[in-house]
Amino acid sequence: MTVIENSAIEEIIYKYKLDNGLTVYIMPKPGYTRQFAIYATNYGSNDIKFLDGKHREPVEVPCGIAHFLEHKLFEEQGGSIFERFSALGAQANAFTNFNMTAYLFSSTHKFYDCLNLLLDFVNRPYFTDENVEKEKGIIAQEIRMYEDNPAWRVYFNLLGALYKNHPVKNDIAGTLESITGITKEQLYLCYETFYHPDNMAIFITGDIDREQVIKTVKRSFADKDMPRRGDVKRIYPDEPADVAQPLVKQQLAVATPMFYIGFKDSDIGMSGNKLIKKDIVTGLLLNMLIGKSSDTYQSLYEDGLINATFEKDYTGEINYGFSLMGGESQQPLKVQDRIMEAINKYKQSGLNINDLDRVKRKMLGDFLMSLNRIDGIASAYIAAAFKDINLLDYPKVLDDVKISDVEERLRQHFDEKYCAISIIEPKK
Amino acid sequence: MDISTYDYRLDNGIDLHVISTRKFKTIHFNIFFHRALNKDTATLNALLPRVMKRGCQGFRDTIQIERFLEDIYGADFDADVLKKGERQIIGFRLDIVHPKYTGDDALIDKGLSFLNDIISKPLTIDEGFNQDYVEQEKQNLKDLIEGLINDKAQYAVERCIQEMCKGEPFATYVYGSTDALPGINVNNLYEYYKDVVASSPVDIFILGDVEPDAIRDKAEAIFNWPRGTVKRIPKEIIKKTVTEPKEVVERMDVLQGKLSLGLRTNTAPDDTAYPILMLYASILGGGPHSKLFLNVREKASLAYYAYARLEKYKGLMIISSGIEIENYKKALDIMLEQLDEMKRGIISSQELDFSKKALTTSLHSIMDSPQQLTDYYLSNAIVKKHSTIDQLIESINATQMDQVIEIAQRINLDTIYFLANKAMKGVEKI
Repeated sequence: MTVIENSAIEEIIYKYKLDNGLTVYIMPKPGYTRQFAIYATNYGSNDIKFLDGKHREPVEVPCGIAHFLEHKLFEEQGGSIFERFSALGAQANAFTNFNMTAYLFSSTHKFYDCLNLLLDFVNRPYFTDENVEKEKGIIAQEIRMYEDNPAWRVYFNLLGALYKNHPVKNDIAGTLESITGITKEQLYLCYETFYHPDNMAIFITGDIDREQVIKTVKRSFADKDMPRRGDVKRIYPDEPADVAQPLVKQQLAVATPMFYIGFKDSDIGMSGNKLIKKDIVTGLLLNMLIGKSSDTYQSLYEDGLINATFEKDYTGEINYGFSLMGGESQQPLKVQDRIMEAINKYKQSGLNINDLDRVKRKMLGDFLMSLNRIDGIASAYIAAAFKDINLLDYPKVLDDVKISDVEERLRQHFDEKYCAISIIEPKK
Repeated sequence: MDISTYDYRLDNGIDLHVISTRKFKTIHFNIFFHRALNKDTATLNALLPRVMKRGCQGFRDTIQIERFLEDIYGADFDADVLKKGERQIIGFRLDIVHPKYTGDDALIDKGLSFLNDIISKPLTIDEGFNQDYVEQEKQNLKDLIEGLINDKAQYAVERCIQEMCKGEPFATYVYGSTDALPGINVNNLYEYYKDVVASSPVDIFILGDVEPDAIRDKAEAIFNWPRGTVKRIPKEIIKKTVTEPKEVVERMDVLQGKLSLGLRTNTAPDDTAYPILMLYASILGGGPHSKLFLNVREKASLAYYAYARLEKYKGLMIISSGIEIENYKKALDIMLEQLDEMKRGIISSQELDFSKKALTTSLHSIMDSPQQLTDYYLSNAIVKKHSTIDQLIESINATQMDQVIEIAQRINLDTIYFLANKAMKGVEKI
């Protein structure tokens, strides 16, 4: 057991590594009414080609299979897992993103029963030809819903413009075509490859008894034989540094055009401290360039080129990353020009140290505020841990950033050749 | 960890509610101005906070405000309008990090004084607001109102309500209408502002690790705006008999159809039967244990989502789902069948039990969220009913099956709304 503590912010996390490889994080939150647990595998929609550790040849599976698998784990012989959580009064859910699939519940009583159920159902798949077929109708409607959703489309169209080969350009749920062919054999194959405890972690938080939690987790695995697997290797195609296409447009039933400007990260292939630092530096930089307190944001807003929907964000994963900024605008291309202009100006003039100090205080505040939400912190912590990041290091890493770090990142990342824009136009 | 609430009335008649708890790392200030909802003033109520948050006498432009907020450790500030039943609430919100994590003991005072500046010292010239801010925010509000179509699920629910409540104040959209915008100028908006500050019922909420009496003294000293006669908000008309349900099909360029059903529950939020209605809605469509989820999604595979939710203050219930357009009739039939089962008392003891548990958990969970806690106590202030979360849970758990069946008899389908596309044929009348 390792103790991960940040006394300045009054948070402590206990980390355990079980014999079968599972990592367990326990974060006591005295006074909280809810208990929350999230059990996740380091496996997401990007993992469609891999060596499974048994066969010599790589396996390729349909897009959307990780998400399909997530839906299907909620089924068991003769019933649904939802029903068993309902009987305990807990709210269960799950989500799949590019890199992770997570199963979670929130309870206010019978916590240890819920925890046991969570581990039990995720560790016990039950797929039949019939229940796989039935799910296709439900997921088809989920995909349809996203196809009509302009906020979703503008995002995925941007990824399609930034990436030529990398699977991050694919929709997480797949397409109507790709899910049609999914079979129970493929689901079992993916399950066996990626749902081994040594590829998984569980994060538990709330006003809980640490000893009892760890006892419950260990007991759940006691009767399960989980031999070490062969080495699993994920295979990602080669991806050029430049964007696939600089502009992509789609027409949908919207009132005002929507847009995202993206910058593809060419400085990739890192994890741990290097990755969290890059994440924070890029976040600071985005705030300084185009945050609400920047001259560029205010002048775009006053000229009516952007409105309150404007946002910016950086996504930093081990093998890919991108910055994006956007919202609604009558003239997205003009916004892009103005932002490029500002970037080039800052590259000449350098950044202001007072701005950096102020934006650091803002990001520290944002981080502290995020600690109020136990479900949010659990998901964020586990996602970071899969990248060898300890999220409680955030304040320290933030504090250590120097103006030269930010300026270097500005020159390296915000370059025209890494930039693409995605626009959703109103349908005439 | 305990949550204690303290209610005060300030010298100028404003109600201050202090929710004292040590479990969060933050302090939350909310100031609510209540206005009656009607189509004449709805757009003014929506525009006003948008203009006010752009600048004030202490912070003359938006960039100064933003830099101030960042300086005080990324304080989260917003001003917007809410719709709760037939009232619009103009809300000013400021969330700050608790001073003990930043070493800046003046954070609370800075926050209070900032909110007071925004509310009571707006930027004005000759009895009017700043021209640029008003024009820019009129355009932004226009985009926001028109942007309702962007989210098809939300659009379908809103349109269902508009059709159902035609002629009632509740049909008014929370952000008003674009038609009203050309008539608003810097002067009449400022006139209206003065009325809002002087005559609205006001509730202030302060939540976090604060000392109640001390914070009351600070609030009283700073929020000392002169007030006039306070206008009462009329109560909603809840009861309505429906002779024949209305059916509306609208077409847009969409792939997925959105089906929304509007129902009258004939039950007001201060009705002693309201907890029973909550239970009814949970059994019908309040999560994975509900009839709608099990029958529309799990059994028939027609939808990804299907739920029922209450519009508490107006006594409405909305059912909503996204389906393949050709499955309109099929999905509608299943929904109507579930409503009919509720009326005929075809409810298992398991359904009742699971719903009680689900409601208990979600009500308990309110206590872990500063926003939800504030909203719960705001709701109490509106309904003038002072039940704690635990009392509400108790009444839900004391409910018997026959009471649920009894309340089911009050609930009537009013409007069926379907958002379809141009390719859809033969559903004009079912």
